[in-house]
Amino acid sequence: MIETGIPKLDEYLGGGIPEGKSLLFYIAPEVEESNMGVHVLYHNLEMGKRCVYVISKSSPKQLGQYFKEFGWDINKYNDRLNIVDGYSRLIGAPSEEKYVIFEPHDILSYEDVIGDIMDETTENVVVVFDSLSTIIDLCGEREALQGIYRINEEIGKKNGVSVYNFTAWPYKENTIYRIKRRFDCIVDINPAGGDSFVGQEYSISKVNWEGKTGKSVIFRVYKPGGVRIYIPKILVIGPFRSGKTTFIKALSERFTSVDRLGATIAIEHGTVDHGGCRADIFGIPGQERFSPLMEKMGASATGIMVVLDSSKPEQLGDVTKMVEDIRRKGIPYVVVANKQDMPGAMDEYELKKRMGEDVIRAVATEGRGVFDAFEVLVNKILHGVPDAD
Amino acid sequence: MLIKTGIERLDELMKGGIPAVTNTLLYSPPFIGKENILNKFVLSGLEEGEPVIFVLTDKSFSEMRKEMERLDKNFSGYESEGKVKYIDIYSKGVELEEEGENAIFVDSPINRERITSAIIATEKEYTKKYERHRLVFDSVSTLIVYSDAKAVFRFLQVVSGTCKRMGATSIFSMTRGMHEELEVQTIKHLMDGVIEMREEGSRMQLRVQGCGEVVSRNWIDYLLEKDEIKLTGAFRMSRVA
Repeated sequence: MIETGIPKLDEYLGGGIPEGKSLLFYIAPEVEESNMGVHVLYHNLEMGKRCVYVISKSSPKQLGQYFKEFGWDINKYNDRLNIVDGYSRLIGAPSEEKYVIFEPHDILSYEDVIGDIMDETTENVVVVFDSLSTIIDLCGEREALQGIYRINEEIGKKNGVSVYNFTAWPYKENTIYRIKRRFDCIVDINPAGGDSFVGQEYSISKVNWEGKTGKSVIFRVYKPGGVRIYIPKILVIGPFRSGKTTFIKALSERFTSVDRLGATIAIEHGTVDHGGCRADIFGIPGQERFSPLMEKMGASATGIMVVLDSSKPEQLGDVTKMVEDIRRKGIPYVVVANKQDMPGAMDEYELKKRMGEDVIRAVATEGRGVFDAFEVLVNKILHGVPDAD
Repeated sequence: MLIKTGIERLDELMKGGIPAVTNTLLYSPPFIGKENILNKFVLSGLEEGEPVIFVLTDKSFSEMRKEMERLDKNFSGYESEGKVKYIDIYSKGVELEEEGENAIFVDSPINRERITSAIIATEKEYTKKYERHRLVFDSVSTLIVYSDAKAVFRFLQVVSGTCKRMGATSIFSMTRGMHEELEVQTIKHLMDGVIEMREEGSRMQLRVQGCGEVVSRNWIDYLLEKDEIKLTGAFRMSRVA
């Protein structure tokens, strides 16, 4: 299996892309194209794989700079990365690359170069094409597709994997149909959230090995950083002095106390970057169960973390009611049993018995358990909440 | 709603200007005033409070800026108000060391994906603050030269649609004499109107096709004086379209 490195995508693909298979990122024109392929390429360089990057729409000279925007240095992988220059000849410029497409308007020229590379390597390689739409536009639809089919076979014979970026310009319907038929796996990339532009969304629309189709995941492309699943709004609530602020600080790489809704109430805001996910986290200061703020923020929350002080059994009644509210709204949530280091702290069994809820133990002051809680919540958000009312 | 081009008699010819939120093709041979129309269109927009986007394939954003500053002393003021953005598809390709906070750089005219996302990102910024804006795309010809008309057609289909959705009134320029007739027809097909320019012997002429109601669809003589285009041909007497 070759991993894509795109958060959660490998999981849905049953581990990644099996050797010999091809994957197409089918990208809406509104979305910048190169990001997906580039992310897969860099992930595999990091994993120690031999990689080939076929570049058709910009100069290989710009490549280092482009990767640098993501915070990635490709120069240190020079011995394992082959760049195929499909650009220079197009504008009549000289090329410094070892592998050059001499006739960018002729798909056979691509076949020649890929063939040479496959002959020379003994390992299984990851070949990233950036992009198929450019190749089709240059070589013609029919010729390009026939050629791509042969190229994928060639790569597949040597147990390599081919990955393509493809911008879905308004091509003819049967061209799109043929393109989709040619690939073992199609991952659709679309803008998410309409004109308010929450981010982008991927979903697997075809996979001919053990993988799941249909699941769609919202992500953003960060520079630096690359592709991250994006979770817009996680609320942290809980009784007075249960340690919410400390909890958010322990999770966040950036933390601010913002004062959005007037001087009397301050909402804390943190950004979490963990396990391929970025999330915006908001701490609601009030301890009132029915605070108007909670009502307002809660309605649009993606997920909620309820933080309780494990050494205060007298607060459990309130917490249980909070959780009931959230369950009724059908919002994914997790209950965090904070302050496990305090004398008399109740453990998870005790809490389960009293509240009928699974809890995650944490000591926010030491950063213990905070990311466990985050991971559990993220999984609930991404996979739905089976126990929602 | 009509948008002034800033050239008085051209606006008269079009009964007030170009219909708002449409796409117009400016089809002209080189050196007979294409740039003057584009520049006027931009400056009259800024005067009316509409921000602009330059999409440049044949000059760097700083050349463009210099030219505009020469034409209008208020230009740098408009730019510092955030009303001027450039998408520079020229500088990186010829390895110029350019930098600027109002410019987005695209490394090559073949990278239509990046051009699209740069335009969309800029338009989204504008729509937050302004009801309308103007876009100048100079030129479509360069894109066609680097790939082919069909691919550029698909690209323009997406871009022209997006421009309308975002409230842009846009002019796309194309150089006469560089393309096959079929290519020109294909691109015209996507536009709401065409302003055509030509040189007939010693006379320079323009005519308007589409672009809503116009006084005349005939060829009209014009003169090029310094930075101004002056329509000299009569059109009141002509057939009313």
